[in-house]
Amino acid sequence: MNVQKHAWSKEDLARRLCHALDIARQALEHLAQEGYTDPEERGNSVRPEKLVSETAFFLLAASTAADCSEVRERIERVAQLLIPHARSERMLLGLCLHPALALDYAQAHICLTRLGFPDAGFDALLRQSAGSQARAGRERVPHRMLEQEWITAVWENPGPASHLRTPPAALDSVLNQPMDLLNGSREDIYAFTHALMYVRDFNIRPRRLPRRRAEILAEAEAALARCLDEQDYDLGGEVLLGWPLTGKSWSPASVFGFRVLAQVEDRAGFLPASSTRLARLAKLEGEARTCYLLATAYHTAYVMGLLCASTLQAGSAPPLKLPTGKSTAVQGSGTLVLRFLDADKNKDADARSGHWRGELEQLTYPERDAIAGLLLNIALRRKASRGEFDALRELLKLAYSCGLSDTPAASQAAEMLERLATYASITGAQKAAAKSRADVGAVGNPSIHVTREIRG
Amino acid sequence: MSANSNRHQEIVKRLLDSKAVDFTAIGKTVAELGPSLAVADEPWEGFCGTMRRFIHVYQIFNPEVPVEELGGLAGVSGQLK
Repeated sequence: MNVQKHAWSKEDLARRLCHALDIARQALEHLAQEGYTDPEERGNSVRPEKLVSETAFFLLAASTAADCSEVRERIERVAQLLIPHARSERMLLGLCLHPALALDYAQAHICLTRLGFPDAGFDALLRQSAGSQARAGRERVPHRMLEQEWITAVWENPGPASHLRTPPAALDSVLNQPMDLLNGSREDIYAFTHALMYVRDFNIRPRRLPRRRAEILAEAEAALARCLDEQDYDLGGEVLLGWPLTGKSWSPASVFGFRVLAQVEDRAGFLPASSTRLARLAKLEGEARTCYLLATAYHTAYVMGLLCASTLQAGSAPPLKLPTGKSTAVQGSGTLVLRFLDADKNKDADARSGHWRGELEQLTYPERDAIAGLLLNIALRRKASRGEFDALRELLKLAYSCGLSDTPAASQAAEMLERLATYASITGAQKAAAKSRADVGAVGNPSIHVTREIRG
Repeated sequence: MSANSNRHQEIVKRLLDSKAVDFTAIGKTVAELGPSLAVADEPWEGFCGTMRRFIHVYQIFNPEVPVEELGGLAGVSGQLK
């Protein structure tokens, strides 16, 4: 089979990347000097340094697709806009005063240098700062340590022989141990996606993963399910980077996820985040309106750009059709899990799931079976987060009968039910003892206690 | 007021009603540490929301608010060219 012939169109991926680069240009023009301060929602505020660093990061990733002339021209244009902000007096002073943050202050400079825009003066001060006594005087979590290692590697630009080793910090990161797929935080998924980006260096000088690709991507699928269900496309796009950054093959769930994001981007005109609110836009005019729109939209647009840049690398484009050949799910399992989800009476969840449901309607039944594991992950996450443990148990039974139980999320759900059964036996025993010392053994059915206790 | 703000207000009200937040203790700590924290120039703490934050009482980020209706967003996307 000619893989490229059946892959997503390169022209379409390049078009999406160019759109993100155009948004980067606008974001720099309007926000790089002063940043953005939102008086109504502090979470929308953007510091100029954040925008400058993220734009440089995005340009470096986009450079892997620079064989496309339209992409190359845009990178050049945005880089020229970025240079004065990346090497401003404020950044220079940061190197002087905060040596433990030297690489953070210099990230944009380092990325620009790698892109072919060096600056000897800035580099000299950076070497002074990075060689100072206090250079390591900040303790960091593993994925932030990986970021420091990554920036250093980009700066030092080592030879190809040094690229294979797994970075030491990766062994301590969430890439090397299972994420909490049922009750983990959004920040946990961020740690996962960022660690992956730093280890794989956008396939420029990728280092070895600390675990097998299949294990890491099985967890990524559960994270992707959550992001799609919560319409968190910013994080969902980062999770999808896991496939092109670690190999050439795409799973049915990841192809489905990519299609959902592309469809949402096409319908909205950009990949949106929930922070962009139409009511706020309607109240704003002129520069204030433009700045609000850019401040709330640029990051998710960059993520779509990162994703498309990665998929434009040789052999990395997702297939147009969902691969159905390797599915271990029994026939009809997609429909069965979907029926379980449809029995969910929570209207909020139904409303939130709109976009992926629309894409699902386009699939054939064999394709639905191929993503039955993704649907199961959505259902497991919903039930666990709401404390509906009886339903969780029913769901696991269904998963077992459908050949879907061999997934990290299902396994974690089973472990959770076991822990809750222990909890129920302990608390049940304590209550029984309090009532009557003679009746210590009458604990009852653990699963019934579990539900009552947790719902409280 | 936006859907996001409404959701935040609801969460804040529940937190206040629960009396789980000791504002007197927070006020004392802020009074002690606030001046030095306010002038600390460390812009990297919020990079992609992954770094630590010192005080996070009033707002919960991304309380599962769905994105706006896509057709409405398409109407404003012309500004992102």
